[in-house]
Amino acid sequence: MNAIETHALSKRFAGGFGVHELDLAVPAGAIYGFLGPNGAGKTTTIRLLLSLLQPSGGTIAIFGEALTTRRRGALAHVGALVESPSLYGHLTGRENLEVTRRLVGVAERRVGEVLAVVELAGDADRLVRTYSLGMRQRLALALALLAEPRILILDEPTNGLDPAGIQELRALLRRLTAERGITVFLSSHLLAEIELIATHLGVLDRGRLLFQGTLDELRRCAPPRLVIECDDPARALCELAAAGEAVTPDGDGTLVVALRSRTSAQINRLLVEGGVEVARLTLDDASLESLFLALTRAEAPRA
Amino acid sequence: MSSYFRALAGALSAETLKLRRTLALRMCGVTPAVVVTLCVLQFGLTELEVGQTREAAWKAFAGASFALWAFLMMPLFVTLEAALLAGLEHSDRQWKHLLALPVPRSVHYLAKWTALVALLLTTALLFVGLIALGGWALTFLRADTGIGGWPPLFWLLRLCTSMVVAGLFMAAIQLWVAIRWRSFTVAVAAGMTATVAGFIIGQSRFGRFYPWTMPVQLFAKKGEHAGFAIAASLLGATVVLALSMWEFSRRELNT
Repeated sequence: MNAIETHALSKRFAGGFGVHELDLAVPAGAIYGFLGPNGAGKTTTIRLLLSLLQPSGGTIAIFGEALTTRRRGALAHVGALVESPSLYGHLTGRENLEVTRRLVGVAERRVGEVLAVVELAGDADRLVRTYSLGMRQRLALALALLAEPRILILDEPTNGLDPAGIQELRALLRRLTAERGITVFLSSHLLAEIELIATHLGVLDRGRLLFQGTLDELRRCAPPRLVIECDDPARALCELAAAGEAVTPDGDGTLVVALRSRTSAQINRLLVEGGVEVARLTLDDASLESLFLALTRAEAPRA
Repeated sequence: MSSYFRALAGALSAETLKLRRTLALRMCGVTPAVVVTLCVLQFGLTELEVGQTREAAWKAFAGASFALWAFLMMPLFVTLEAALLAGLEHSDRQWKHLLALPVPRSVHYLAKWTALVALLLTTALLFVGLIALGGWALTFLRADTGIGGWPPLFWLLRLCTSMVVAGLFMAAIQLWVAIRWRSFTVAVAAGMTATVAGFIIGQSRFGRFYPWTMPVQLFAKKGEHAGFAIAASLLGATVVLALSMWEFSRRELNT
């Protein structure tokens, strides 16, 4: 079952589309990286998923339960952190959790439990206005976890965190998925961050979903490239083109071949048999960044 | 329905906790104390005509306190309290956290409304207590005022709670403004403008129809329009509350 499923989800704002006919399918138990440049519509999508905005069209289901303005029961499965943490600075960390606990009506023991999960138990009785940004972020995560959600929706959760804080957050999210089976829907414009943690990806640009699937599926969309250094690039180019390979000169005397049907060893043999002396072959696996750029650039003329 | 009231009870309990260490809570004591202190000074330092009996003297002192309270301090207090209560959620954009919880949106609004009325009522009761203290202070400072013995507590309590009811229409409008607009300045400016306008409107024949001067109607012209003011305030507050809850339930949170 999908944890989140949307069909033709759209949000139109005055002056243009926010998001256009999104068909999201977030598998239960996945860490779903929701990727897109600034202004792509990530936060709009998240606000729609949390019923903070009303869709102009389409449907949303959380674990199969429809979410509408009037039927908000599905939100009981969700814990969320939208952009910056929303906290009461004049209250302590524990009191902040207590406010939400009273609202959602969960057991008192949960406050202590989530404080332990985010490692804030020692600072729980300090006023939140004295917290560092990292501590505020962890407290916001504790708030999201308080009602034992099945899905965590996190909008740019690493914003403002230092590298150590980012690493801690990443470890925590992995732990939550592994130990408690929580689905994580994580939006970010930081490609490297998503690449390190996500099992599934959705790529959004200008309000449209360009890709959705696993990281491997995305990589299959863009095959690895073989960079060739040889004594006679012009001859190598002819040999490879004659063999039906998509080859492009790279400007500095090297050639680049997109590996589709032949392996790098077969390409090497082809060149050697054609009388080309190969100095170096480098396999360049497509990084998420290059895949992302390829996707969003390919989409650009359509907008 | 029972789940709705359970959610409301939870939201009210959360509101109580949020008020800890806030200016909103401190103002409940400060505002009536300022009014009573000013009236004690007024009675203590100037020659005033007071009643012939102890009760008349008490009523003269309490009436002066009520007049200052109803005309000026109560509208300003309601303005400030509504802005501070809404500001708790506006300041760090808490609405996006609250409204993403599986709690009906109207519950959040109703909890804020109940908190505002509770603060207003608590202040009114403190005001009665402070009037009694102020009157007793005057028996030592100015024995010639004629104040002495027990104050007319029933009369004080009835007038004070009636004034709260007459102020509900104004409170409902102020809360809507404070929640609708994120800016503290907008809420305070709206309340101050309406209060100042009340100085003029309140003295005209339209005073009884104007929400900010409805509490004054309880004793203006010997309470000629008191019944109307209370009924109109209750009706107005109900209508404004219903409309603002409907508007709040449909509002989009895009910032």
